[in-house]
Amino acid sequence: MTPKPAGPPDGGWGWVVAAAAFAVNGLSYGLLRSLGLALPDLAEHFDRSTQDTAWVSALALAVQQAASPVGSALSTRWGARPVVMVGGVLTSLGFVFSAFARSLLHLYLGLGVLAGSGWALVFAPALGTLSRYFSRRRVLAVGLALTGNGASSLLLAPTLQLLLDTFGWRGALLVLGAITLHLAPCGALLRPLVLPGDPPAPPRGPLAALGLGLFARRAFSVFALGTALVGGGYFVPYVHLAPHALDRGLGGYGAALVVAVAAVGDAGARLISGWLADQGWVPLSRLLLVFGALTGLGVLAVGLVPLAGSQEGCRGALLAAAGAYGLSAGSYAPLVFGVLPGLVGVGGVVQATGLVMMLMSVGGLLGPPLSGFLRDETGDFTASFLACGSFIIAGSFIYMGLPGALPSCPPASPSPQATPPPERGELLPVLPVALLSSGGPRSTLDTTC
Amino acid sequence: MRAPSGLLGPRGPLPLALLCLLAAARGSLADGQPSVSPLTSLPIEEERITKYSNLSLESHNIPPTVSPLTSLPIEEERITKYSNLSLESHNIPPTASPLTSLPIQEEILTKYSNLSLESHNIPPTASPLTSLPIRGEMMTKYSNLSLESHNISLTEHSNVPVEKNITLERPSNIELTCQITISRGVNSVNVTWKKGDELLENYLTNATGCILYAQYMFTIINSKQMGSYSCFFGGEKEQRGTFNFKVPEIHGKNKPLITYVGDSTVLMCKCQHCSPLHWTWYHSNGSVQVPIDVQMSEKYVINRTNANETRLKIMQLTEDNQGSYWCHAVFQLGESEERIQLVVLSYLVPLKPFLGIVVEVAILVAVILLCETYTQKKKKHIDDGKEFEQVEQLKSDDTNGVENNAPRHRKNESVSQ
Repeated sequence: MTPKPAGPPDGGWGWVVAAAAFAVNGLSYGLLRSLGLALPDLAEHFDRSTQDTAWVSALALAVQQAASPVGSALSTRWGARPVVMVGGVLTSLGFVFSAFARSLLHLYLGLGVLAGSGWALVFAPALGTLSRYFSRRRVLAVGLALTGNGASSLLLAPTLQLLLDTFGWRGALLVLGAITLHLAPCGALLRPLVLPGDPPAPPRGPLAALGLGLFARRAFSVFALGTALVGGGYFVPYVHLAPHALDRGLGGYGAALVVAVAAVGDAGARLISGWLADQGWVPLSRLLLVFGALTGLGVLAVGLVPLAGSQEGCRGALLAAAGAYGLSAGSYAPLVFGVLPGLVGVGGVVQATGLVMMLMSVGGLLGPPLSGFLRDETGDFTASFLACGSFIIAGSFIYMGLPGALPSCPPASPSPQATPPPERGELLPVLPVALLSSGGPRSTLDTTC
Repeated sequence: MRAPSGLLGPRGPLPLALLCLLAAARGSLADGQPSVSPLTSLPIEEERITKYSNLSLESHNIPPTVSPLTSLPIEEERITKYSNLSLESHNIPPTASPLTSLPIQEEILTKYSNLSLESHNIPPTASPLTSLPIRGEMMTKYSNLSLESHNISLTEHSNVPVEKNITLERPSNIELTCQITISRGVNSVNVTWKKGDELLENYLTNATGCILYAQYMFTIINSKQMGSYSCFFGGEKEQRGTFNFKVPEIHGKNKPLITYVGDSTVLMCKCQHCSPLHWTWYHSNGSVQVPIDVQMSEKYVINRTNANETRLKIMQLTEDNQGSYWCHAVFQLGESEERIQLVVLSYLVPLKPFLGIVVEVAILVAVILLCETYTQKKKKHIDDGKEFEQVEQLKSDDTNGVENNAPRHRKNESVSQ
């Protein structure tokens, strides 16, 4: 007689999984961001332009995000643990291979394709597994994991610089290969969890595994469209905030300060928004809408700062705008993942995570080049930030179509708690039988009044 | 052609010059004869106009016996407007009015740096004059050199000596001017010029109101004439202005270049806005600089894509190739050098930390998996134990019935222990 699967542990081993996801985030996104330090050395060695070497990072990011559904599909089939461990080994191999590169093409293949695929296999499964381990404190846990990004930049950037100065770029990439191998122990920590909402059998066929069926749900489709639009503008400040500050005449250290303010605001906000969301005072979809809109406004503010006048005033205004952007973008990030179980149920979280990554990759691929193009045409970044801000705000408008986003409809009947645990799928208008938890309280939030 | 006398007068030079310009198309200009003093006029020859197709400016300052001259500053518009014409200005001072000569402004001259400046001071017969050292041969020889004009302003009571660094690449005519504002006693200030410690001669001094101008003109043709030139103003406190002439600096790479055995690498030296005659590369492993053997074209290739940069490509690197590489930029007026450091490592160097970290990761994974199987086994054991207990309890419930409460309790106790 097997015991009935309990709900998400909401703690216990879940915190270890959070730590593992923290490390995974750091070793994938964080490392990718710090990789920019090595690009000038590569450009010098291979005698190519900065633009050509920038494609190494861009390709890795694109592959990582676009191939995310593959990672989540594989992990629904075989479990997150083996997939993440294999992904770690793959990434490591990519770095080792690129350490011996004889041309920039080898780097595109090694870092871009190989390491990118490895990262695609680790991110979505790790974050999806984390979501399954928590219910009441999910968004906080996800926010905690997502700060791995910023923390890793703080740690890895100086380390990478040290490696470059000691061993040159070849040795640095080799040692980085060993460092990324730590993704394997992180994967080992992702103990499989059996939850009530899981589908009884693993999906048959690759397409089913990809979870494309999730798009049939109206809520998820709305969310997907909104997120794709937001993705178009969300990543631009990562790439163009520093050059924008330099354009405004801030100087190297001034620009670094602006970026640091945004990064610190971002990291702190992830934790705070995670804690806040978990309190359940406001429905997650409404928080998503609010913070999405605020992020868009923050980006607009950053773009409009130059019109504020003098040099000194410009600097202060830019720092304030960057801080506002960082705070809102950081608040937005964990909500994107936190709202998923409510939309698709716990069983579909891993697949949904992969799909969301893929959607954001479309924006991530198109946004920065568009921004760069606008900057080349108009001479400064105002137009690009305005365009990106409007993308984000447009996406936030679409979020209004999510159930629970707009406060216009009063609850049909009073409920014992503010919002029931989201993983029981209460945001879904019609609950499919397979994902319906046994005997949970029905949703009190109706989508139609 | 005799200029109408109405054009000649105290303010003669301006309209006279205009007339000159109008007549210049004919290529020659007759001189206006003043009624007061004799003049020597330099005729503009056809050849000179065609030879110096950039604008040649000739200015004749003829000092009267009584007072210094005024030569009006050459106005910019006229030069731009008639830039293919030659401008001759003959200042014919009346004996009566004093004149002051103003320095030709720096901006005009640096702007039209293809102007050659010829200045003839023709002393009148009555008084001795200082004549500029520019002699005939030099005029023809260096009149196609550019003119560089530099200015230093000093204040009377400052403590800081003023220095100006000048980067010079090609031979040029140089005009250095120091000006100082003196509260009083302009004529009592002693002016000297020095190059390093060597005293110079043949300089000009002029005073306007409270400003004293000291001017030194010379030509730099080779590296011996580079260095520091200083003007000194004596008085209560000696004020000094220094002009430092240097060849342009070149830039390489500040950090050592790290490469691996078997790689190829490119060492680059460049300078901002200069064009050296040629570049040479040297390699030094200790203190001796050995020139790079360009004959070994499979190993070394020197490329000069632009005039202001040089690239040394080294292929098939070995550990012998490491050390310092020097690039020299040779100018007419001297040499400039820069050092680039090359480090060649073998792959074994980063391999050690790599293997160390891989081993650590393997250990971590093993520990994590073992821990998990251990805790799972333990948990399963406990679970099995609990199940066993439950099964036993049910069995005993079934078989014993209600009367056997006491024995059951005892039995449970013994089992649970």
